[in-house]
Amino acid sequence: MAGRRPAPLTLRPISAVVLDVGRKNRQRGFVLIAMSVSMLLLLAVMGMCFDLGRIYIARNEAQVFTDSAAMTAAAKLDGTPAGVVRAREAVAHLPMRWNLGTQPFTGVVIEFSSDGRIWDRDPKDASGLTLARVTAPANGVDIVFLRAAGGPKSFTVPSRSVAGVKPVRLVE
Amino acid sequence: MKSDRMRRGRQRGHAMIELALSAGIMIACLSGTFQFGYTFYIYDQLVSAVGNGARYAGSRTYRAASAADIEKGKAAIRNLVVYGNSRPASDAAPVTPNLKPENVQVTWISGEKGVPDAVDVTIVKYPVGAMFGSFNFDHRPLAEFPFVGRYAPSESEP
Repeated sequence: MAGRRPAPLTLRPISAVVLDVGRKNRQRGFVLIAMSVSMLLLLAVMGMCFDLGRIYIARNEAQVFTDSAAMTAAAKLDGTPAGVVRAREAVAHLPMRWNLGTQPFTGVVIEFSSDGRIWDRDPKDASGLTLARVTAPANGVDIVFLRAAGGPKSFTVPSRSVAGVKPVRLVE
Repeated sequence: MKSDRMRRGRQRGHAMIELALSAGIMIACLSGTFQFGYTFYIYDQLVSAVGNGARYAGSRTYRAASAADIEKGKAAIRNLVVYGNSRPASDAAPVTPNLKPENVQVTWISGEKGVPDAVDVTIVKYPVGAMFGSFNFDHRPLAEFPFVGRYAPSESEP
């Protein structure tokens, strides 16, 4: 009777079996670690993109605001103390906002000068004032993601502009 | 042998599920990052464009011989915001995709004796479409600049 010969029984050495199991366990651990590290890196990059994007926008918004505020203040100066008061009021009434157009500018500092060297918030003599300087110092952007990676809680983006009473006029 | 094959098959299944889950999370994170990043970039461009437009509006000559002249002046301001040029070429590209002059609102704030005191320039009804969904910018960003240009109530726009 021509029967099939049974396959030769091969036994793997016990050390190979143990190594194989160990390798599989190690592989499973490696995937977990690789995933954790890559997710952490991904979240860090995502956070950097989100937070830095907001910081850049706040910087741009603050710069446009201080440019406008300085020009507004300078335009109100007429050599009288009433002109200084009008300049402050005009800056306070500017409708511009920051943080994606949601928050009003606070702590805005308005200073005046006649020569560009000595600046005074409350000038005694308003007759010779020719320059206005506006600083928006309190634009603290709340850091959302980078805080988790050891970054600061907020990042302040100050801005400052100077304008004169004789502005540039376009011929157009 | 059979149980070994089954185990390998189960492992392959596990790997596929793990890959699907991790890839899903990663793709969601990356697309979210792109969505926010792109929207921030567009908003930043708009802040600059609106600021430049308002500064230009405040410095240019205000001609008001007729309502059409005032509208023509506003059109020049809108063009400067959208194309970076008050008289753009016919094939000029906008500063941000799909931004049109209709998305720019120019408002003169009258002072004493009809002389403009300031000008407000803002973006209205402008949708920013990234990957999923879109953000709508309406009345933001906004810039107000004082009018320091020449007041010419009897002149017409060239």
